[in-house]
Amino acid sequence: MSLIVPLAIALCVAAGVYLTLSRDLFRMVLGLAVLGSGVNLLLFASGRLGPLAPPIMEAGADALAAGAANPLPQALVLTAIVIGFALLCFGLVLAARLANMARSEDADALRATEPPGGEGHKPAVLEP
Amino acid sequence: MSGTAGAATPTGPAYVGLLALPVAGFGLLVWGLLHHSLPWALTLEWVPSLGLDAAFRVDGLAAQMLALITGIGALVFVYAHGYLDHEPRRDRLLAILALFMLAMVGAVSADSVILLFLFWELTSLTSFLLVGWNHADPHARAGARQALLITMAGGLALLGGLILLAQMAGTWTLSGIVAAAPGLRADPRLPAALALVMLGAFTKSAQFPFHFWLPNAMSAPTPVSAYLHSATMVKLGIYLLARLDPAFNDLPFWEFSLVGVGTLTAVWAAALALRERDLKRILARTTVSALGILVLLVGLPSPSAGLAVAAFMFAHALYKAPLFMVAGNIDHATGTRSIDHLMGLRQVMPWTAAVAILAGISMAGLPMSFGFIAKDVITSAKAEAELLALVSHATVLVNATVVAVAGVAAVRVFWGRPEFPRARVREVPWSMRLPPLLIALLALEFEFLPALADPLLLAAAQAISPGLDAGVLSASYRFDNTLTALEITLGLGLLLFLFWDRLHALGHRIHWLDRYGPAAAYEHALHGLARLAAAHTRLLQHGRLSGYLRGTLAALLALACVMLWLEAPPLAWPAPPPEQAVAWSVALVLIAAGAVAALTLRDRLALLMASGLVGYGSAVLFLFAGAPDLAFTQFAVETVLVVVAATALRHFRGEAPRLEEPRLANALFALLAGAGVFLLLLPLAALPPDTALSDWFAAHSLEAAHGRNVVNVIIVDFRGLDTLGEIAVVAASLLAALPLLAGLRNRNHAA
Amino acid sequence: MTPRSVLLDRIVPMLYWLLLAAAVWILLRGHNAPGGGFIAGLVAVAASAALAIVLGERVARARLPLAPLPLAASGVLLALVSGLPALFSGHPYLMHFWGAPLEVKLSTVMLFDLGVFLAVWGALAGFVLALLAAWEEAA
Repeated sequence: MSLIVPLAIALCVAAGVYLTLSRDLFRMVLGLAVLGSGVNLLLFASGRLGPLAPPIMEAGADALAAGAANPLPQALVLTAIVIGFALLCFGLVLAARLANMARSEDADALRATEPPGGEGHKPAVLEP
Repeated sequence: MSGTAGAATPTGPAYVGLLALPVAGFGLLVWGLLHHSLPWALTLEWVPSLGLDAAFRVDGLAAQMLALITGIGALVFVYAHGYLDHEPRRDRLLAILALFMLAMVGAVSADSVILLFLFWELTSLTSFLLVGWNHADPHARAGARQALLITMAGGLALLGGLILLAQMAGTWTLSGIVAAAPGLRADPRLPAALALVMLGAFTKSAQFPFHFWLPNAMSAPTPVSAYLHSATMVKLGIYLLARLDPAFNDLPFWEFSLVGVGTLTAVWAAALALRERDLKRILARTTVSALGILVLLVGLPSPSAGLAVAAFMFAHALYKAPLFMVAGNIDHATGTRSIDHLMGLRQVMPWTAAVAILAGISMAGLPMSFGFIAKDVITSAKAEAELLALVSHATVLVNATVVAVAGVAAVRVFWGRPEFPRARVREVPWSMRLPPLLIALLALEFEFLPALADPLLLAAAQAISPGLDAGVLSASYRFDNTLTALEITLGLGLLLFLFWDRLHALGHRIHWLDRYGPAAAYEHALHGLARLAAAHTRLLQHGRLSGYLRGTLAALLALACVMLWLEAPPLAWPAPPPEQAVAWSVALVLIAAGAVAALTLRDRLALLMASGLVGYGSAVLFLFAGAPDLAFTQFAVETVLVVVAATALRHFRGEAPRLEEPRLANALFALLAGAGVFLLLLPLAALPPDTALSDWFAAHSLEAAHGRNVVNVIIVDFRGLDTLGEIAVVAASLLAALPLLAGLRNRNHAA
Repeated sequence: MTPRSVLLDRIVPMLYWLLLAAAVWILLRGHNAPGGGFIAGLVAVAASAALAIVLGERVARARLPLAPLPLAASGVLLALVSGLPALFSGHPYLMHFWGAPLEVKLSTVMLFDLGVFLAVWGALAGFVLALLAAWEEAA
C-alpha cells in the first residue's frame, strides 16, 4: 500500500490550516488556496484511485476502456477548482480593501461590525 | 392611579359589548343550572388520528368556578369602568380581561388535558399583559415578567405531568384519568407525574416557594387584582388539585405534599403580611395564605374536606374581591395605599367603609357572615381528619392574622383622626361603589338564605368528595368546638391588630428574609442566567476570525475522533502503478516543499510561490492519476493566481507584520487537522465505491450526448444545470468584487 | 513606466492571438478529448493577463470582445438560452440537440460550452485587469 496520496492531502490541509489560523490577512487568504487544493485532492481521491487511464473513449470505441478512471469526481473537482479560484480572487480583493480601510493587515483589528466596547464588553443585562 | 387630570374616557359601544360578555355568560350559566342537571359534557372531534378530542365537561366544581368567573367578572367590568375613568386605553384593558375570562371558562370546563393546558397558559399570558399594564413603571414590568416566568415554567411542568398521566391512563380526558386512577397505583411513573402536576398547580396558586410573584403582581390595576389575583386565576391550581383529589387522596405522597406545602404557605404568607405597609400587598399576602389553606384542605382525606374547599373558595372570593375593590377605591380617591397615611376615611367615603366592614366581617369569620360558615365547615373538616397538632395550631395562627388584616382593612383605615382634608378626598363614583357592595351583600345573604348557595356548593363538594351525602351548610351550626376555636382566633387576632405597628417594625428588622428568601433566589437565578449568557457570548462571539476557525476545527476534529474511535479503519491504499511511482513522488515532494516553505517564509511574494508549489504539485498528481482535464485546469489556475495575487499584493505591505500569534498552538492545530484528515482517509480506499452514477454516465456518454470525454459530457450535458449555476457564481463573484476594486482604485487617486 | 523590450512588444500580441486560438481549439475539442469551456476560459484569461502585463491593462481590455462584466454575463446568458429549445419542444430543460446541417456536427451543447468559456474568461479577466489597473495607476 502507498501513503503518497493521503500524505499529500494531509500536508495540504495542515499547511492550509496553519496559514488560515494566522492573524495576517494575506496569509489567511493564501491558506484558503492551499486548503482548497487539499480539499480538491480529497474529492478526487474519494472516487478511488484505481485504474489510471483518462475517462476518454478511444476513437472508434463506443465505451470507456476497462482501466479508465472514475469520471464523476473529476467533473466535480474541475468545476470546484474554477469556482474556488473565483472566490479566492474575491477573497484577495476583499482582504486588500479591508486592509486599506482598516489601515491594518491584522485580522483581529477588523472589528467594525463587532459590538462597541471591545472584548471586555458586557452585553446588556436584564433589569433587576 | 388617581386619575383626576384630563377628560373622562367616553363610554363607547366597545365597552358595552365587552360588558355584555360576562353578563351573558352568567345568565347562560344560571339558565343552564336551572334547566339542565350537571354534569354537562360536549365532545368535538379534534385530532382523531391521535385519539385527541376537544372534550368539555362541567360538573359541580366547574360550575362553581364558572359562577365566580362570570359573576364576579361582570361586576369587575362595571367596576373597571369607574376605576379607569381617565384611562384612554380602558377598552383595551377590558378586551384583555375578556380574553382572560374566556381562557378561564375554557380551563375549568375543559376535560381534555391538552385543552386544559392551552387555556391554562392563555390565562398566564393574559395575566402577564394585565400585570404589566402600566408598562412605564419598572415595578410593573418586573412583576409581570416574574409572574410570567414562574407560571409558565410551572405550566411546562404541568404539561409534562398531564401527558404522563394521560399515557398511563390511556386517555386524554381528566375524567378518564380520574376513573382509571385505581389501576395506576403500581405504575412507577405515578409519583413523577403527580409531582409535575403539583408543581404546575403550586406555581399557579402561588404556593411556597413560588408565592412571591403574587404580591409583586399587585402593580396591576385594581380590577385586575380583584379578578385574577384573588377570585379566579390563582384558584385554578387548587381547582386542578381538587379535580384530581378523588383519584389520589388516599396516596400518602399526595396527602403529605398538599398538607405540608399548604400549611407552610399559609403560615409563611401570614407572617410576611405583617411586614407590608401597602394595603393591596397586605391583602395579597392573605390571599396567598388563603390559597395555602385551600391546598391544605384539598389534601385532607376526610369527605367533608370537599365541602370545606367548595365553601371556602366561594367565601374567599366573595370577601376578598370586595376588599381589593375597597383598596382600589382608597387608592383612587387618595392616591396612596400605604396604611401609614390612611386614617378616618369613614367620614369622606361612607359607602366604601360600609363595604369594607361587611367584607371584613366575613373575612374575620365573625358569626352572621358567610365567612363564618366557611370557617365552621373547615373546622369540622379538620376535626374529622387526624390532623397533626402542629398543622392545627398553625392554622389557628394563620386565622388570627387574617382577623388582624380584616381589622386593618376594615377598621384601621376608616376610623381615627382623618389625615386628609375633606375637600381633597371624595367618595368614588357609583360604578365603583355598587359592585363591591353587591358582592358583600351577596355573601351576607348566603348567611341568612343558605338555600340559595347550598345546591351549588354541595354539587361542587360532591365533585371533590364523591362520598359526601348531606353536607348542607345551614345545618352546620355546631357551637361546641367552633366557638371555642373562634374565641381563640378572635382573641389572638385582636392582639395582632393592636400591636400591628410594633410587629411590623419587628418583622422589618429581619433582613435575612430579603437576602435568602425564595424571592431572592429567583432574582439570583435571573441574574445568573443573564451573566451566563453574557459569559457564553464573550467566550464564543469574540470577534476574532482565527478564534472562530479554531473553534470550528476543534469541533470537526472531535467529531472525526469519535468516528475513528467507533470504527477502526482498515488500511488499503493502492500503490501507484510502477510507471507512475516517480511522478507521484515528485508531486508529493512539490506539495511537501510548498507546505514547509509556507510555514516558514515571511516574505509574501515567496509565500505566494510556495502556495503555487502546492498547486502545481496537485496538478502533477492529477496528470498522472488519469485526470488530464483537472491537471490542465489546475495549471492554468495556478498561473493566473500568481498574477492576481501579485497584483493584489501591492495593496499589502511586502512583508507580513510581526503580529503576536500563538504559533505553537496554531502549528498543533494544523498538525492535528492534517493528522485527522490522514486518519480519516486511510479507511477510505477499503470501502467499496458506489460507481452506479459514474457507470451510467460512462455508458450513456457517447450514445445520448455524442461525447467521448465523459468528464466534459457530465459538466456540459448530464449535469448542465449545476454548471449553469456554477458559472453564474463565477460571474457574480466579479460583480460583487467590482465595488471593492473601484474602492482600491479610488484610494490610489486619493493618495 | 519602465522602458519595455521591443521584442516583447512584438511577440506578446502574437502570443495573445495564438493563445486565444488555442483556447478556441481546446473549447471545440473538449467534448471528445481533454479540454472544454472551463479550461479554454482559463487559457484565455492567461492570454489577457499576459497582454495586460506587457502592453498595459487598457490594451488588453480593448482586445476583449466586450467589457469583462458584460462578457461574463453574456456567457451565462448564452448557457441559459442554450437549454431553451429543449424546453420549447417539451423536453427537460438543458437537454441538448445535435444536427449536421453543413457536414459539421453542430449542437446546442456547443453553445452551452461557449457560454461557460465566455463566463470564465469575462469574470476572471475582470479580476486580473482591474487589479492590474490599480497597480498601474499607483506605479
